[in-house]
Amino acid sequence: MVPPVQVSPLIKLGRYCALFLGVVYGAKRYDYLKPRAEEERRIAAEEKKKQDEQRRIERELAEAQEDSILK
Amino acid sequence: MARFVRNLAEKAPALVSAAVTYSKPRLATFWHYAKVELVPPTPAEIPTAIQSLKKIINSAQTGSFKQLTVKEALLNGLVATEVWMWFYVGEIIGKRGIIGYNV
Repeated sequence: MVPPVQVSPLIKLGRYCALFLGVVYGAKRYDYLKPRAEEERRIAAEEKKKQDEQRRIERELAEAQEDSILK
Repeated sequence: MARFVRNLAEKAPALVSAAVTYSKPRLATFWHYAKVELVPPTPAEIPTAIQSLKKIINSAQTGSFKQLTVKEALLNGLVATEVWMWFYVGEIIGKRGIIGYNV
């Protein structure tokens, strides 16, 4: 087996600094994106409700108009 | 479905023990290398690291990095890329998901 290589301290320091910075960056970005995504979902749900309401009204109007005793 | 679950329950200990027997020597090899190569820097090594960093900055300032062979430069590039990839691994840990942010 090849003996394990002695890694330079600069590389070790760089690796673990990069790891730590990555964790911090990932956590901060997640906390930034989470409320925005929830807001977006809330707005989309409201929009959808309004659209559904509109369609229901249109559908009932159409049904009421084509209702006649001659059917 | 029930037969599958019963089969699985009967064979599970054998599977687990087979997995353990397979992975033990490989884990030992991994540990043997990781103990030396992947260990974080001790506080005593940090001045050495800062010295190396100063040397690199010096070579960038004086232009002596142009004396590197192409092979050395490529190897340095690979090492730098590997160090940068640890940043992305950290980001995966921080955002608690492998692909994308599960917001």
